[in-house]
Amino acid sequence: MRDRWLKYVLILPAALLVMGTTIWPLGVSLVTSFRDWRLTRSLTPGPFIGVEHYLIALTDDPDFANAAKVTAIFTLVDVAVTVVSALGLALLLRRAGVLHSVTRAVLILPFAVSPALVGISFRFMFNAEMGVFTWMAGAIIPWLKGFVWLADPVAALLVLMFSDAWRWVPYMTLVVLGGLAALPKEPEEAARIDGATEWQVLRDVTIPALLPVLAVVAILKTVFALKMFDQVVTLTGGGPGQSTVTLAHLVFSIAFRWYDMGYASAVAWILTALLVFLAVWYMKLILRKPGGH
Amino acid sequence: MDRNAQARRRRMLWRGVESALLLLVLFLILFPILWMALTAFKRPVDLFDLTVFFTPTLDNFRTIFAHPWNIGQTFLNSLVVAGLTVLVSIPASTLAAYAFSRFEMPFKGALFFTILATQFIPAVVVVLPFYLLFRDLGLLDTHLALVVVNLAIVTPFAVWMLKGFLDAVPTESEEAAMVDGATRLRVIIDIVVPMVWPGVVVTAVFCFILTWNEFLFALILTRDDAVTLPVGITRFRTERGDLWELIAAAGILISIPMFFLSSVIQRHFVRGMTGGAVK
Repeated sequence: MRDRWLKYVLILPAALLVMGTTIWPLGVSLVTSFRDWRLTRSLTPGPFIGVEHYLIALTDDPDFANAAKVTAIFTLVDVAVTVVSALGLALLLRRAGVLHSVTRAVLILPFAVSPALVGISFRFMFNAEMGVFTWMAGAIIPWLKGFVWLADPVAALLVLMFSDAWRWVPYMTLVVLGGLAALPKEPEEAARIDGATEWQVLRDVTIPALLPVLAVVAILKTVFALKMFDQVVTLTGGGPGQSTVTLAHLVFSIAFRWYDMGYASAVAWILTALLVFLAVWYMKLILRKPGGH
Repeated sequence: MDRNAQARRRRMLWRGVESALLLLVLFLILFPILWMALTAFKRPVDLFDLTVFFTPTLDNFRTIFAHPWNIGQTFLNSLVVAGLTVLVSIPASTLAAYAFSRFEMPFKGALFFTILATQFIPAVVVVLPFYLLFRDLGLLDTHLALVVVNLAIVTPFAVWMLKGFLDAVPTESEEAAMVDGATRLRVIIDIVVPMVWPGVVVTAVFCFILTWNEFLFALILTRDDAVTLPVGITRFRTERGDLWELIAAAGILISIPMFFLSSVIQRHFVRGMTGGAVK
């Protein structure tokens, strides 16, 4: 059969695109991470220096330690908030009702907004003088009146998390709703007939059945939280100080403010290694499932 | 009876709590969008009042389309970059997805896995070598440079989504046509593509949205000529201060088309992101 060759021909264009646009730059970055290369000194790559960049990053760079800490805190809180809120909201939205369908219809909107625009909009709404959220917080909790959110290290990180949750929680709610719709009705009904309360049905039947979907939500959100970049630039600029500098933002600064390509590549690769590890885990989870592609 | 009444009252109470919660959620989702929309029609002096009662003006839209902002050109850049990315990526991805869906081959699992895994790579590691390459080639600040790097994000998504759609298309009519002597390529063009067309459109729209909203590549690879809208809006933060009313006006311009597109494909949106793991 000609199919024997045709199938490779069919895959070739996409394979070349993926090779050229991701595998090649990954390889170049890896090689660069072992070299000394500062664009301020030389336009061509310098000598190989082994794993020195990795050693510096992991043992002797307070900026890296700070960015790793910020990214870890951001990711942990962000993932926990997203999974719990998306699950809760999806369970609320399961039933029929006018409010329910209106809410379901607007869930997709935040995700369609460019993350860069989300960041800059929240910067405006948390502005000290004319921020509407600043004013609301002050109106509800008098103690917060006049509080400058983006000038406080902890509050700035909270605002960053809030802006990210605004974009992601509604979207992940749609994902969980999809999972809920696919569950068979019988186990829940059987539990009710056996006299279980709604809370028991939820805890012992519904949520265990949803675990695979919740795992997908958690891993996807982890990946996107670890890559957090756009809103850091447009909302906080990494500040105040370095309190909201994520790893992706640190790579950007090393490469395009200090022009140290070698060190930037090494830090980028530490982040990449973490993400590839998560990717493998995620693939195993969804490829194992019957009916999953 | 008494017990029934109590249960009913508890249910009524829960209904009330539920409605209150949903109203709060609706408010949280819609308020930022509505507030930015309002801001777009405010004069700068009205910004400080936090009022919803003001004399609306279209001046902000006039300003962003005029010199020096020329948002029309930025809009066009976004359109060209997102359009070209989709035009290159979708045909290539459709063919590959078809091969993955219909044929067995050695290392198929590993190959498919590699294509999918590339989605998890942080954009910032991809952009470093491309920045250096485009600098050497003199291609910084061009549409071409942006299209090339955006293909990196879009292509794995498209292959994954399209394979899901193709798996759902029955193979009988393809086999019948092959028995009648049609070549595989004819079958793909005449039978498979028309049948999977809705899926192709959904995937194309999805990839268009991804590219349209992309920020990191555009921030690093463009300066003046090829700037796209997400980077364009950051230009309104000037040395003289942040021009919020113009940011809001430009924000409407960038968001409205995406609200429209995402609503059209909402049902498939979730699937595209999770690759059919969630049905």
